[in-house]
Amino acid sequence: MLASPPLQPETNPPQGGEEGLQPGSEASPSNETTLDIKSSEQSHSAPPDDYAQLQRRFILATLIVSALVVAITALAFDLHIASSVLVGALAGVLYLRLLARSVGKLGNGSKSVSKIQLIVPVVLVISASRFPQLELLPAFLGFLLYKPALILQGLLEA
Amino acid sequence: MDSITTAASVVAAGLAVGLGAIGPGIGQGTAAGGAVEGIARQPEAEGKIRGTLLLSFAFMESLTIYGLVVALVLLFANPFAG
Repeated sequence: MLASPPLQPETNPPQGGEEGLQPGSEASPSNETTLDIKSSEQSHSAPPDDYAQLQRRFILATLIVSALVVAITALAFDLHIASSVLVGALAGVLYLRLLARSVGKLGNGSKSVSKIQLIVPVVLVISASRFPQLELLPAFLGFLLYKPALILQGLLEA
Repeated sequence: MDSITTAASVVAAGLAVGLGAIGPGIGQGTAAGGAVEGIARQPEAEGKIRGTLLLSFAFMESLTIYGLVVALVLLFANPFAG
C-alpha cells in the first residue's frame, strides 16, 4: 500500500548538520557539540590574557616613569614637592587601573564605560586643597604622569 | 571672598565641568560603540581593540579631568578669594 518503506529509527544519525528527532538526542549531546563549546571558550579566553598583559605593561610603564620623575623632583626641588608628586602619581596609577577595569567590563556586562575612576582626581584635588602637606600643582602634575608613560609605551610597541 | 566672586566662581565651575564634558562624552560614546562593533565582528582581536580603547579613553578623559580640576580649584582653592 505504501510506496515508501516504513519509518525505522536510525542507528547511525548524521554526523553534522541537522540532528535526528530521536528521543535520546536531547538528553545526550554529541561529542561535536562539546568540542565546539570548548573551542569557543578557548577563543574567548585568549584575548583577555592579551588585554591583561597590556594593562600590566601600561601600569609598569607608569610606575617607572613616576619613579624617575619623583627622583628628579626630589633632587631638583625638595622632598615636600616630591612627596606631592608621588601621591599624585599613585593616584594616576589607581585611576589607570580603574579605567582599565571599566574598559574590560565594556561589552561583557555593561553597555557603557563607568565613570567611577573620575573620583580619583576629585579626591586628589580636594585633599591637596585641604591638607597643607600636599601641593596642588605637583600633585596634579604627578597624576598626569600616566600620559607620557602611555605615549612611551605606545612608541615602544610601534 | 565677596559675594560676586563667589557667585562667579560657582557659575564658572559649573560651566567648566559641563562644557568640558560634552566633547569627551561624545567621543567616548563613539569610540565605545565602534569598539563593541569591532569586537562583535572580530572576537579574536578583542585584546587589541580593548587596548586601543583604553589608550584613547585615557587621553579623552583627561579633557574632562582638566575641567573638573579647574572647577574644584575654583570651589576649594580659589586664587581670587583675596
